[in-house]
Amino acid sequence: MSPTRIKGVLSALLVLLFMGGLFFGPAGLGWSEQWDALLGREQGMAHTIIWSLRLPRLCTALLAGAALGLSGLMMQTYFRNALAGPSVLGVTSGATLGVAMVALGTGAVAGSADGWGMAPQVVGALSGGGLVMVLLGLVMGRFRSRTALLIFGLMVGYLTGAMVTVLQAGADAGALQAFVHWGMGSFAHGNGLSCAVMALATALAALWSLRDGSSFDMWTLGTLAARTMGVDERKFTWTVLGTAGALAGLVTAWCGPVAFLGLATPHLVRAMGIRGRMAVMLVPVLLTGGVLALLADGVVRWMGVPLNAVLSLVGAPVVLLFILGKGPFARRTHSANRP
Amino acid sequence: MTPHIAVRNLTLRRPEQGVGTLDFVLEPGQNLVVLGRNGSGKSTLLRTLAGLLPPQLGTVELMGQDVHAMATRRRAALMALAASTPPRETALNVREVLGLAFEASGRTVTSKALDAALEAQGMLDWGGLRLSELSDGMAQRVMLLRAFEQSGAVILLDEPTAFLDVVGRAEAMADIGRWKDNGRSVILATHDLEAVEQAEWADRWLVLRPPSAGGSVMMVTPFKASEARRLLTGPV
Repeated sequence: MSPTRIKGVLSALLVLLFMGGLFFGPAGLGWSEQWDALLGREQGMAHTIIWSLRLPRLCTALLAGAALGLSGLMMQTYFRNALAGPSVLGVTSGATLGVAMVALGTGAVAGSADGWGMAPQVVGALSGGGLVMVLLGLVMGRFRSRTALLIFGLMVGYLTGAMVTVLQAGADAGALQAFVHWGMGSFAHGNGLSCAVMALATALAALWSLRDGSSFDMWTLGTLAARTMGVDERKFTWTVLGTAGALAGLVTAWCGPVAFLGLATPHLVRAMGIRGRMAVMLVPVLLTGGVLALLADGVVRWMGVPLNAVLSLVGAPVVLLFILGKGPFARRTHSANRP
Repeated sequence: MTPHIAVRNLTLRRPEQGVGTLDFVLEPGQNLVVLGRNGSGKSTLLRTLAGLLPPQLGTVELMGQDVHAMATRRRAALMALAASTPPRETALNVREVLGLAFEASGRTVTSKALDAALEAQGMLDWGGLRLSELSDGMAQRVMLLRAFEQSGAVILLDEPTAFLDVVGRAEAMADIGRWKDNGRSVILATHDLEAVEQAEWADRWLVLRPPSAGGSVMMVTPFKASEARRLLTGPV
């Protein structure tokens, strides 16, 4: 299939999943009732369900998926490591610690505050995720192997996990329960404000990736090649790490530490045969991230299981297939370069 | 005419300052081979010439401008660098890599121009192949072509044939020889005497040596391999 056709199919799937999520649910509302509610001709229960529950949730899922997919694509390109992603490198863990400090330390309840009440939690997530990104930017030159980067992320995860456990031990029961619930991941806590912020951040990040796409492409040829081809290393590094970290941090603040979406989305796009330039990957990654998130959220609503359980069940096999070099997710290299 | 590259009173940064003070000028089409043993400072010299490392002392001028004060993009349009190993983690294909070179050089990327560049090297059939799918030798030749198409004046090569077999080495050296006719100045760093012995395109030879071995020596063609070997290995 040509990339254009794949983009068409993905867009259709996105609309279909969105509409399905909008019009099907446990409330058992009738078609005409829901349609009237959507158009604002009816102000009762159906209006509340459509406008206050389903629409924000679906928009949150769509935007979070797109944002995490783009964040993962940026990290995989920057670190030249196909296993990089916001959750693998510890960015999500850092953001989780930030949220824990706000939610458990102050007693504010994670995930339940409306509108601007979420601001401290967003600041916490962005600071925590940002801190890990700054650390990564400072030490990455010292990594001697590709595995070192991944172990760095793993260790950051242990460290922040331990600190979160300490915070949890001293937290009161209500805050603890809300935090644990938030930690399972959910798109249900989004609202108009969260959607607006995520949409703006994703749009800006996508526009920059498109405009500076050649810098990303040159970067894949090696740091030395990129620097001598006109890429300003310092500026590029901090913009990529800042943008990818901000996207992951924002999503974590509202949706919890969402697993695998950032890592797996670019792989799914490559499995469809789309790989290479940033300009070619960008839109399919945004669409696939949205589709995956909507799909996962559909399963969550249908079966009542937590989001991260659904995503891990899909995401972990994708990564395993990649490192085993089997199936559509295998890396394609010259046979002589296989270890 | 402005020389392509003018190195004046250059001392490399520690710990490579031992190679002494370097002074040389390359006019358009003039080439330089930098010989030296492992760790003699060849890579440091190339990175300093490329504007990536500041020198301890002295200046490097690229087309009459201080290379360390130039805008990154302007520098990229005039000077390219190719390392010893081709990239392995890129998903780009040969045409896309070449397209990036055009972009870095400030030219507009057209399908026709890309085809012409590939055809001139007999690589037209490779266009759609990804770099990761090519053998080391093929990928390295693509990266050399990338450097050539990017650079308007100077091409820096750091051990470009280190990982190539005999045939790949000869092909790469022949490619480099052709650039001279296009008015580019090549600075090639290597420890491989045999590979450059047949390279008839070199105009100058710079042998990097520590002061204890008598310091660096600049020679002009005709090049005698035996002389270079003596300078590199023998006692003073």
